[in-house]
Formats: sequence, structure tokens, C-alpha cells
Amino acid sequence: MHQPPQSTLGRIWADRWIYLFLLPTTLLLGIFTVYPTLASLWFSLLDRDGFGSDGAFVGLANYVELANDPLFWNAFGNTMQFLLIAVPLRVGLALVLAVILNASLPFVRILRTGIFLPVVTTAAIVGVVMRYILDPTGGPVNLILSQTGLADGAVNFLGNGSLALYSAIAIWVWKWLGITVIYWMAALQTIPADLYEAAEIDGATAFQKFVRITLPLLTPFTIIITLITAIDATNVFDLLLTLTNGGPFYSTEVIDIFVYRHAFVANIPRLGYASAAAMFFGIVVSLAALVQILVVARIGRRGGAA
Amino acid sequence: MTSNKLTRRGMLAGTGAAALLAGAGVRPALAADMPMLEWWDVYQPLQALHQTLWDDMAAKGVAEVNYTASNPSNIMQSLQLAYRGGNAPDVLNMPNVKASTLASLRAADWFQPLDNMGFDKPFQRAATAEGFTSFDGKLYGIPIFSALWHFASVWYSRDTAAAAGLDPTTGPASWDDMRAAAKAATGGENYGLMLPLQFGRRMADTFIDLAMAAGAPGEVDWHSGDYAYASAPFVEALEFLMSFQKDGSLHPASSAVDARQGRTRWAGGEALFFFDGPWNSGVLSSNFPEVVDGIGVANVPTPDGATAQVYRGPKAATFFLSSQSKHAAAASRVLEAFTSDEYYIALAERMDQPPLDLSAVERANVHPTYRTAVAGFAETMRIAPEPLLRNPAVSQVYAKMRDVTPGLGEIIQGAFSGAFSDPRPFLQQFADGMSRERDRALKAAQDEGHAVTLEDWVFADWVPGENYG
Repeated sequence: MHQPPQSTLGRIWADRWIYLFLLPTTLLLGIFTVYPTLASLWFSLLDRDGFGSDGAFVGLANYVELANDPLFWNAFGNTMQFLLIAVPLRVGLALVLAVILNASLPFVRILRTGIFLPVVTTAAIVGVVMRYILDPTGGPVNLILSQTGLADGAVNFLGNGSLALYSAIAIWVWKWLGITVIYWMAALQTIPADLYEAAEIDGATAFQKFVRITLPLLTPFTIIITLITAIDATNVFDLLLTLTNGGPFYSTEVIDIFVYRHAFVANIPRLGYASAAAMFFGIVVSLAALVQILVVARIGRRGGAA
Repeated sequence: MTSNKLTRRGMLAGTGAAALLAGAGVRPALAADMPMLEWWDVYQPLQALHQTLWDDMAAKGVAEVNYTASNPSNIMQSLQLAYRGGNAPDVLNMPNVKASTLASLRAADWFQPLDNMGFDKPFQRAATAEGFTSFDGKLYGIPIFSALWHFASVWYSRDTAAAAGLDPTTGPASWDDMRAAAKAATGGENYGLMLPLQFGRRMADTFIDLAMAAGAPGEVDWHSGDYAYASAPFVEALEFLMSFQKDGSLHPASSAVDARQGRTRWAGGEALFFFDGPWNSGVLSSNFPEVVDGIGVANVPTPDGATAQVYRGPKAATFFLSSQSKHAAAASRVLEAFTSDEYYIALAERMDQPPLDLSAVERANVHPTYRTAVAGFAETMRIAPEPLLRNPAVSQVYAKMRDVTPGLGEIIQGAFSGAFSDPRPFLQQFADGMSRERDRALKAAQDEGHAVTLEDWVFADWVPGENYG
């Protein structure tokens, strides 16, 4: 038996193996997450074209230009639209599916696998394939629509400015539904079965069981799953790039693609401007997350007090 | 036991030492005597021809060439990433790159001069221009193609055209002819026109040529020096293109295809018309040989059917030598093989853009559609003024000009996607944006002490319909 050493250095030395094993992860985190974020913050204050290794310091000029750029606000609006439609759709639909798949129906395993399969595909490939599936002439979706008479003429899902974003949302929800179903199914397992049995004895319908038992008990899970899904919904770059490349006419250009366009696609790239856009958006999302946490904490306190 | 272990260890050590020695002895012999050049271009139809030149150079011990075919719609992005990572190819190609972009890339030190290149024949000297093929008087790149061609030849299936009421040998001459034929050809799975809307740059180039066919002086009105994007010919040209969509004769997949995919579907018979450059002959001959004999080509149509006049300034070189290349001498020797008469004739026979030596087309064995297209250019193309040639300091302004978004390609895509019904405000916005960008770059160049003004864009002595200079 030995006394633990009192000094900080001594304690670190005593735990040296822990720190050694943590070192690779910390290094990788530093190199691939912390450094790029700080570098991006620095670049956003420069007028840098990415060719030479330096750029003139311009302070907040990039941010001012950003605030006056209608295409930036268009990208911002598209991202918000994506978030506000796709997240509730994915979370809600996944919950309904999870409740259905939780029951012991025949073929439920096949259904679960089928719903989860799109999750393991590569988003970029899904984008390319969906362009063929949604092709206005000869694509399977349009063939079905015209043969069943649901639509007269070809529906240009990805080439029509007013449809493109919603088509992208639908594809994104379809692709990632499986993982959210898994989250919900795990959450549903935490609800004790005797609650349902007691409700059945009291003569509750399936709908009443869902609304009175399932939903309230799932509230903490709802918050977490919504947060995860919302963060996912801001990382749609790979899918949208191959699906529509931000078109037609910027109607599916989300912030990711706006940043990519300015940083890489332009003949003369503008790394400073792109970094400013990324920073700006990151700050807004962080503020939104902060607001959400505060509101939830307040609801939690009120709920606890009641 | 011990002696066994020593023997095994000794054997292992001995084998290891022997392998090292063998490796050390073999390595100098394996080391290449010839440099390996990385070569990126978009001229995949020409690869077979170029390979014979490269094999010839390798046999002579000059250099080996590792070729990578690129897609014209994203080669700029690939080059950006390559330069940033230090992996730029030795020889690079940027198809249809503008002088302004070239000036910026030169300022960013992308290129190095060619080494002792003989490029002196009359038509070669005529194609050499400061800011396009040379910088500071030194040759940095060589063109292999002539500059005098346009993007807006109309390619069509002769049988379908005849069925739609057109003369299959001449094709449409006026815009009304083309619209009517496209409408007549639309039915069932077939449509009148396929446009490669995903390839924004190509759409912009085709659109500018159509506008010139409608009477525009070019992207700049040379008498006033203003950008002409919002002028009547440009608006009419865009309305002409959009009329196909209004008539229902635009192939709906146009919004999803680039030039290669669009051509494939058009060649498969899904549409009657396709705008493309002269290289369509070559691509069809190599990729769709069963279709090429049924294809006809017409010169760019004009509103009234008269012969169009399309203006071209000097053109950037085709192949440049990258500043990151360590084999300038070897690359220059290889590039010299691309300036011989045999090469120009062979190039004409590949039917890509017309070769630098236009006389080679007559001496070569080419498909009739290619001859027709090139003959159309002889009637149509005129040499345009270029501010950079009159005042080299203009390159400073070009270098500082940034892209204006939405650009012409995006505006065209937007017009077809239904994002707006009247393109005029957007064309005006683009023209204003370009003027603002030019003024900003002018002021920055003047602040650095360069002698350049807005007057450098004014050519009062330019006569429409004639070669300038």
C-alpha cells in the first residue's frame, strides 16, 4: 500500500499510462478538429485566395460582405428550411416505425433490415443513383407516376427549383431513417411492459397507450434524438453535392455547398470568405443549440417542481 | 542445440545481408533514366494520337508520359487541389480558360516558361499572344488548336430532320426554322433539343456565341467599353433558348446532363438537335461510329437566317508547363512534337477542335460533317479586339478580377429551372456586377501604379463584321 502523491506533477506521473493512451486521440482531435477550427477562424479574417501562403488581413470585412451577400442568406435559408422540415419528419416517422416494428409481427426482422439498409450506403453514391431514379424521362419514379396517371407529363424533381429541395429532403430522410428507428427502438425498450399491461386492463386503445404512456416517457430521448438529427441535418454536403450540386439556381445550396463553392469551385478561390461563412453559420448553430439547452433546462426545472 | 541456433540465426542474417546488398545493387539499375511526366488534359478522343507521340519520345529516351484524362467540367477544381498539395502535373491543360483567370494563375505562379521551344511558323507566330500563350515575352504554353471556331454549331439527325420538315443537308438556318423543326420532332419519348444544362461553363459559351450570331459585338461592346450582357441580342438569345422549353420541345433531362451525358442521349436518338463544337464529329466517330454517318451539322442559326458573325480574341495556350514541374527541358522536347506538320494533319483527322494550321484540314482525311463545320467557321469567325494586346498592364486588372455569381451559366440554369420568368434583371445584375468588379480591379491596379484605365476597353475603330487589326 502506498500513499498517493500530493503534488499535481506527481499525480500526473502516477497516472502516466492513462495519459499515454489518451495521447493518440488527443493528437488526432487536435490535428483534425481543433486546429482546422482555429485556422478557419484566422482565415476568416484574411483576404486569402488559397494560391499563395499568405493573405492580407482585412478584419471583419469578410463578415460584412457576407451579411450583404444575397446568395449567403439564400444558403442560410435553405439550410434552415432543410432543418425545420427534415428533422421533425425523420424523428416523427422513425418513432411511428419504431412503435410498429417493436411489436412482434411476422417478417419484422426483414422489415427492420430493409429500413436500415440505406443507412449503410454511401451518401455520395445515393446522390448519383437518385439522379437516375428521379430522371424526368425514363426514370422509374416518373414512369410509375405517368403510368398510374398521378402526374401528367414528366415531373422534374431535381431540375425544378421549387421541387428540388423537397426531393433532397425526402431522399435524406429515406436514407437515414433506419438509424433513428434504431435509436427509438432502444428508447422504447426502456418503457416497462407492465405499464402497457396495466393500461390494457384499464381498457386503453393503442392510440391512448401511445399518447399517454409512450410519448411522455420518451421525452428525454426525444430531445437527444432531435439534437443528433439536427446536427446530422447540417452535414448534408455529400448527398446534395452529387444530387444537385446546389442547383438548380442555388435552390438546394445549403451552407456546406456555399462554402465549398467559394473555397474550391471558383476559378479564383476565396478561402477567407468561405471560412467566414462557415464560422458565421457555426456561431448561429451554436447559439441555437444554447437556446435549446436553456429552454429544455427551464422546462425540466418546471416539470421537476410540478 | 546452440550450434543449430547460431546456424539458423546466421542463415537469417546472411540472407538479410544478401537481400540488402542485392537490393542496393539492383536499385541503381532500376532507377529510371527518363523523367516521368504527369500529363492532364481533357482531350480523351485524342489520346490514341498523343500516345503515339509519347511512345516515340519514350523510345528516343526523352521522357515517359503518364496521362490522366480529365472532365472539362471539373478540371479547374482538380488542378486547384493538385497545386495546393504540391502534386500539380508537369503538363496541364485548361480548356477555354479566360485571360482574366490566366492572369490570376500567372500571378499565383502556376507556370514556368518553356525551354528553347521552336514556334516560329507564320500561323504559329500569329497565335502567340502576350497574356494568352506568353508572359513577359517568353513562351509559357503552346496552342495546338485554332482559335477561330465557335460552340454553337447545330448537330442533328438527318432522318429526323427530314421528317420534321428540314432540308437534311443544310439543316436550320434561322431561329424560327429551328424552333419549328424541334416542335415537329417532339412526340412520345423524343424531343427537339438537348441542352447540357449541368455544364454551366459550356452553356455560357454557347449562349455568348448565339448572342453574337444575333448581332452582339461580344461580351464587351467595343465602342463603349461596357459589358454587353444585358443588351438586346443577349436577351433575345436567351429567350430563343427558353422558347424550346415553352414549346415543350426541350428534353426534360437537359437539366441533369453535362456535355458528355447529353451527347450520349442525343446520339441515342432522344433529341433532334444538339449544340456542340466541331469536336462532335470526332467524339461520335470514336464513341458512336454507328450513328455518325446519319448526322448532319449546320452553322449557328441567326434570327433572320443570314450568315452569322462570331468574334474571337486571342486564345490561351492549350498546354502549359507547371511551375511545380522538375522536368522543364524534357517536357519542352515532348511538347515540340506537338508543333509539327504531321501532328496538325493527324490532329485534323481526329476531328477535335480545328488544328492551329487550318490548311491541315483540307489536306487531311476527315468526316464530311467536320469539313462542313470548319467551312462554316471560315465564313463566320472574325478576329475581335483584345485590351490585353494593346496594353499589357490590363493583365493586372484581369488578375484582380473575381468571379461574379450568379454567372451566365447559373443564370441560364436558373432560367430553365423556373427560378424566374424574366431573365433580364439577372442579366443586368450580372453586367453590373462585372462592371463593378472591373472598376474595383482597375482601382486596385492603378493604386499599385499600373497605367491602365477604362479607355483600354474602348476600340472606337472597331468595325462590326470585319477582322480587327
